[in-house]
Amino acid sequence: MDYRVEGITYKYSKEGRTVLDNVSFSIEQGKVTAIVGPSGCGKSTLLEILSGVIPTLISNGELSGTFQKPEESLVSVVSQTPENQLFGYGVEDAIAFGLENMGIPQAEIAQRMDYVLDLLSLQYLRARSVANLSGGQRQAVCIASVLAMQPDILIMDEPVSSLDPNGKSLVQMVLKQISLDGNTVILVDNNLVWSAGIVDHIIGMLDGKVVFDGSKEEFFQDFELQHRLGVIIPQEVEIYRGLLPYFPDLKMFYTVEDGLLQLAEMVNTKLFAKSYAEEEETGENIISVHNLEKVFGDNFHALIDVNANIPEGKITAVLGQNGSGKTTFVKHLNGLYKPTTGDVRYKGQSLLDKSVAQISRNIILVFQHPEHMLFEETVEAELTFCARQQGIPFTKEKINEVLSQYNMLEDKDIFPLNLSMGKKHTLTILSVLFSSADVIILDEPTLGMDGFLMKELEALIKMLKEQGKTVIIISHEIPMVFRTVDDAIILNNGKKIFQGTKQQLALRDDIFDKIHISMPPVVVMSKALGFDKICYNVDEFVEEAKALTRKEAE
Amino acid sequence: MDYLKYVDSNSFLHKLDPRTKFAFFVVMAVLTSVIKSFVALAFLFVFFIIIWKSCHIGEHILVLLSKLKILLLFIFLLWLCLGLFQVPKVEGGPIFFQTTFSWVGQQHVFCFDWYDFYKGAVYSLRIFLMISSFYTVLLTTNFSEMILGLRKWHIPYSVAFAIGLIFQIIPITIKELQAIMDAQSSRGLEIDKCGWATKVKNYVTFSFPLLFRVISKGQSISLAMHYYKLDFSVKRTAYKVIKASRLDVYFIAANIVAIAITIVLRIMFYIPV
Repeated sequence: MDYRVEGITYKYSKEGRTVLDNVSFSIEQGKVTAIVGPSGCGKSTLLEILSGVIPTLISNGELSGTFQKPEESLVSVVSQTPENQLFGYGVEDAIAFGLENMGIPQAEIAQRMDYVLDLLSLQYLRARSVANLSGGQRQAVCIASVLAMQPDILIMDEPVSSLDPNGKSLVQMVLKQISLDGNTVILVDNNLVWSAGIVDHIIGMLDGKVVFDGSKEEFFQDFELQHRLGVIIPQEVEIYRGLLPYFPDLKMFYTVEDGLLQLAEMVNTKLFAKSYAEEEETGENIISVHNLEKVFGDNFHALIDVNANIPEGKITAVLGQNGSGKTTFVKHLNGLYKPTTGDVRYKGQSLLDKSVAQISRNIILVFQHPEHMLFEETVEAELTFCARQQGIPFTKEKINEVLSQYNMLEDKDIFPLNLSMGKKHTLTILSVLFSSADVIILDEPTLGMDGFLMKELEALIKMLKEQGKTVIIISHEIPMVFRTVDDAIILNNGKKIFQGTKQQLALRDDIFDKIHISMPPVVVMSKALGFDKICYNVDEFVEEAKALTRKEAE
Repeated sequence: MDYLKYVDSNSFLHKLDPRTKFAFFVVMAVLTSVIKSFVALAFLFVFFIIIWKSCHIGEHILVLLSKLKILLLFIFLLWLCLGLFQVPKVEGGPIFFQTTFSWVGQQHVFCFDWYDFYKGAVYSLRIFLMISSFYTVLLTTNFSEMILGLRKWHIPYSVAFAIGLIFQIIPITIKELQAIMDAQSSRGLEIDKCGWATKVKNYVTFSFPLLFRVISKGQSISLAMHYYKLDFSVKRTAYKVIKASRLDVYFIAANIVAIAITIVLRIMFYIPV
């Protein structure tokens, strides 16, 4: 039997705006349904209604319509932050929590725990404490704890948004297993990159209304809709979308392998490894790191003899899995951490005896969670915070100019913490424009962003570079990194294993194998198809494919 | 090094029934409130050191000591200063300076002597032992065990859960505060090289985003409680069972001996304070 959402309309208060407007769709039993749409489209409110949070916990809104399901159906949710969801010190405690609440006898709890740990291949975590798990493992345990309750519907709210590539792979594997086991899953996530292979059915939402209800195949064929909803789609699909006008016989592909098989025939080229000239590093270095070692109090060696240079006026990515030392590394650049041994220099001057606030005149670190940074009463005050701390003059005109450029002028007097997650991120980055700093470090700036905001962020980063600023970026969004950056530093287990240009990095498959991160499909495919140059974005790839075909025709 | 946080280990204290550890804290809290003999307290301190060393939590106690040093110094100086206006209650011992003076028509004594140091040391040590006995339990009992232990003492689940939740949230809140301080100093707020007044003002500044984060975490936790069907009016079952072992018997025996010795030392070496 399928579940049916019928005519749901919702307002948070009687006078408030309509957040959901006559939303109707079916949820197929035993299938994975993805609900997609841009920030503020009503996805989260719908999740609250489906999970019963509205009206059980939030009862002052106006709700009409029904969620049709059998009386005793159990709906449970896996949230995007498992550390806020898991109760219990150990993995066993966390999994048993929901079952104990349901009054399940001890023997059955043991049985169900064995079942979910076996199903998700997590027995190896059984004796561990939750606090010592990686982000991906924690999310997997969270899924296990909810699955053990045997819910009729499992809702997953952006389950991989804060995970590194290893964590994403683990959750991807877990979701695949759940779907094979015939569970009914609703995935609320605007990023379909990691789940494209698993999702069966897609519901598209815009301004509180359902604008798409169909299969994954239908959704990925509707390019205009994908764009309108700001959905982040796999780069393979983007490549297909870009090539289709020039290669009408091309069939949809979701993997690099499928794409290569089709394209190799169409562009009539053999798959071969071509040798590319390496571009050498040029220009001055603004920051240099010498023999940097960091040993924490518990004798954990977070950084081991790291030597690195940050070129001036360029965008440099710092890549690696969680725990590789990326954040520790950048926290040395702005003085939050002092090295155990070694030195960090800005324009040749050591930073070791300067305070973080003093260093911020030259180097600013923008944190991952905007809530850690925002505390002024208005957006305008927040925007000028750095400038006021540093005594840098600014004008009302400049404030208005920046705010209107990023569609935030009407938010000028708003309390910053009331902004959407994407706008909060943008605001924290924009506030840097008013400071004297010429090095901006962005730690995971894409967290919680939809496709539109990601594009804005890319434009903002490029604008910072055009203004002569040096940008350092930590991100797990590898296609975005390759589209944006000039250089990269790669850390693995606290050691620097690569520093060089993006072009040099694209030739180092061995490095990506070592850190268990995949190169973007455009890079892999342009290399495999023997294009004249390696491509870093879809537009370049399409142009190269067209050029190659033209050449062959001639 | 983290503080106010359970230390994952396999020492004998970690293996004890949580109820034994709760009882240890209660008894030690009472004992240190009653005993005012330095020799007896010093013996207890040595007993505690043996426990800490054998459980490999000595470094964590040193972290606690460093966090408490201002408080302990304040208590020490307070009792030392109060003692300056009294003569020693026992004869003997060095007196460094003594005089009398009149104030508001009355004669007062000013006496700087060994007894002032003694009182300061006794009161500081009592407070430290009281806090460290609780901290020892905290370092070796995770919040899930705490809840189980409290339930065995027939504390209602809602109360036990709330206590466990507090100890789950404390380390998270400390981490959040540190992240906020780091984020603000990264944007130019001076928190390293500034005076006390500015530091206090900054902490007020930090409290606002911290409050927001704590409220937001509280909301997430209440949502999670809903997802996991937590209902205090419904009878719960328990997956894990705790029971006392031979280790508990040995630990209780060792404590009885230590308490007896402490009382004997108190009787033998009592100096009224």
